[in-house]
Amino acid sequence: MDLNLSAEQTILVESARELLGRRSPLAAVRALEAAGRGFDRELWREVARLGWVGLTLPSEGGHFDLLDVALLADEMGRALFPSPFVPTVAMGAWLIDAFGDEEQRRRWLPRLATGELAVTVALAEPGARSLWDPPGLAIAGGRLSGRKLFVPFAAEADLVLVAVAGPAVVAVEREASGLVCTRHDALGGEPLYALAFESVSCEPVAAHPTALPRALDRGAVATLAYLAGACERVLEMSVAHARMREQFGRPIGSFQAIAHRCVDMRSDVDALRVLVHQAAWCLAAGEAADVAVASALAYGLEAVRRILRHAHQVHGAIGFSMEYDLQLFTRRMKAAELGWGPAALYHECVARAMGLG
Amino acid sequence: MNFAFSEDEQKFRTELRAFLASELPSWWRGMFVDDPRAMPFTRAFSRKLAERGWLTMAWPKEWGGAEASPWKQAILREEMWAHDEPRGPQYMNLNYIGPCILRFGSEAQKRRFLPPMAAGDVLWTQGFSEPGAGSDLAAVATRAEPSTDGFVVNGQKIWNSYADAPAEWCFLLARTSVAAKRHHGLSVLLVDMRTAGVDVRPIDSMAGPHELNEIFFEDVAVPRDCLLGEAGQGWEIVTAGLTFERVGIARYARAGRVIELLVEHAGATGLAGDSEVRSKLARLRVQYEAARLLNYRAISLQAAGRVPAVEASIARLHNTQLEQQVSDVGLEILGLAGQLTADDPAAPLTGLLHRQWVRTIPTTITAGTLEVQKNIIAERGLGLPRAR
Ligand SMILES: Cc1cc2nc3c(=O)[nH]c(=O)nc-3n(C[C@H](O)[C@H](O)[C@H](O)COP(=O)(O)OP(=O)(O)OC[C@H]3O[C@@H](n4cnc5c(N)ncnc54)[C@H](O)[C@@H]3O)c2cc1C
Repeated sequence: MDLNLSAEQTILVESARELLGRRSPLAAVRALEAAGRGFDRELWREVARLGWVGLTLPSEGGHFDLLDVALLADEMGRALFPSPFVPTVAMGAWLIDAFGDEEQRRRWLPRLATGELAVTVALAEPGARSLWDPPGLAIAGGRLSGRKLFVPFAAEADLVLVAVAGPAVVAVEREASGLVCTRHDALGGEPLYALAFESVSCEPVAAHPTALPRALDRGAVATLAYLAGACERVLEMSVAHARMREQFGRPIGSFQAIAHRCVDMRSDVDALRVLVHQAAWCLAAGEAADVAVASALAYGLEAVRRILRHAHQVHGAIGFSMEYDLQLFTRRMKAAELGWGPAALYHECVARAMGLG
Repeated sequence: MNFAFSEDEQKFRTELRAFLASELPSWWRGMFVDDPRAMPFTRAFSRKLAERGWLTMAWPKEWGGAEASPWKQAILREEMWAHDEPRGPQYMNLNYIGPCILRFGSEAQKRRFLPPMAAGDVLWTQGFSEPGAGSDLAAVATRAEPSTDGFVVNGQKIWNSYADAPAEWCFLLARTSVAAKRHHGLSVLLVDMRTAGVDVRPIDSMAGPHELNEIFFEDVAVPRDCLLGEAGQGWEIVTAGLTFERVGIARYARAGRVIELLVEHAGATGLAGDSEVRSKLARLRVQYEAARLLNYRAISLQAAGRVPAVEASIARLHNTQLEQQVSDVGLEILGLAGQLTADDPAAPLTGLLHRQWVRTIPTTITAGTLEVQKNIIAERGLGLPRAR
């Protein structure tokens, strides 16, 4: 048992913080959103050159695992870095590497690792309440028809991994004919799309029954890590505000009602983070991961809500203005919570795993 | 990072469990149960732990310890707390009184006080709180007036656990100087409770008799060689002691054990299919997981040679609130029968939940209240201005 970061992990985290602080300030996050874009492809290639995109792919020189993915995602969340890191690195790279055939690996992985091939994952279908609802789309004669919803970054991706009945995963080129991509008008800053497939040509990637659920676990854990980082930054902003803002002749942070809200945030972020690390470690080590993953999700999704409420309360009216940065976090974090919720789903997983039949 | 215990550590846990299974009598329900067998049992049990080198396994070899890794210590704590802490009051000796003497004591004091603790032969009580000094511990007014050969103590302490056990020694915080600023006038004295002028009066508590006491000191002579550290060093010593104490209590493990028993109960009574019960138990299990890992984070820092002050306070916030929630939900699941005490033969789970509920009422009060913990985290962890 050891919950400390290794020396190498510490370097990874510190260099990520430095780079993201410099290259992806919140002003850039705003600008991308205003331009209707999901991410900055130039910057994505730049981080790929640092090895962040191929970090789990031995064929591309990567020697890290999902725990390191979570550490990087945490830093990205702190910076609110807009990128297809979760679908491309946590899910797509793993699906292709673990289940794709030799030819697919050679065709996709090198380009994925250099940032040329951005991958997204299409999961939810009309009527689905959560990403875990089993996919119903069927393949007929190597062709795919039907609709997928809430697909992140789809307009800017190059390859779409689509969950289909089985469950299985197939790949569709983003430019394939018969695929139409329409943007949802949604609360978060990360663009989400509805995809309509009409007899689109696709190729099988993974048919193993555990492939999709494991990919979902990995995506969920990486997203939670991103949320932990975002929570950390929201806490920092709240503390900075509580120290600076004065009312009744003293900093509001000297009022216990405010200070204790900040402490509750600290306590929730810390809990979320250790739970995420455990979940990522169990998945990476091939240990039984059900309780670890479900606990992290059940705790994390609710903690995010509490933290956002505290942050807005500590900030007063300024937190509600679009000019102030808190809203950038609030909207994205709420969207991620809805994207991977509801927490009740994970409580039920835990109930089963703890022996409640 | 690594979230698994080593084989050696797992083996140690198995050994401990076997030992507990053979040593714990069926009537054992923890301290404060108004059972005259309880206190003598904890003393005999502690001696047996000592014989196996487990009582003070965290201590240096020189003082009867085994310098066990922080993880083995954690496993020992977990198993003890999960089984109603059969060491009774002695966990205090091991967790912080002994370590404070190790850190601040003279050679002669170490030779005098540590071996009996390591052998499981002595009981100590903590003499910090006073009627006028609870959370504001620096307001301690008990006077230790310097005399020719030591100190003369006058004053009153309150809420002293185990003082009538009877404790042989008191780890006393007293004021040796009124001239110095509040915190600087305090000192720690190691007081023999058998000295003339020491008067212990029990206070009945909701948990039953023998838990709490008042101690009155009237012209109690304390020799100079019973001053721990320097005069005026008292605040530093108790602050260090309270930090040791916070990491030293594995409340999460006791909560985890109660959750397991509740799951068994739900299975046996058909409640496992009730969606409300399922979701409430799952929620507790998740909170338990968070608390356990936050404790492990603090221990990881210790293992790396760092002092987890703020991390220990955060772990404690989770530990104490988890225990309270487990007992509330547990009683709710038992329903009407939850109110039956251990003495009622119809009490489900032999009254465990009722006992657990009473015991955990003050978990957010003792050793620094929940609010005091939060103040510490706000100031030291977050750098917020001192809260008022
Ligand atoms: C079961 C039990 C065992 C104990 N054993 C011992 C023992 O062995 N030896 C010993 O010396 N003492 C012992 N104590 C005493 C314990 O240390 C004190 O109860 C504790 O320090 C709190 O003091 P108090 O009870 O006077 O509460 P108070 O300090 O009066 O607090 C009452 C309420 O006011 C709040 N409050 C106080 N100050 C602040 C502040 N600055 N900011 C916000 N809120 C504040 C508290 O959080 C609490 O909610 C024991 C207590 C219990 C319940």
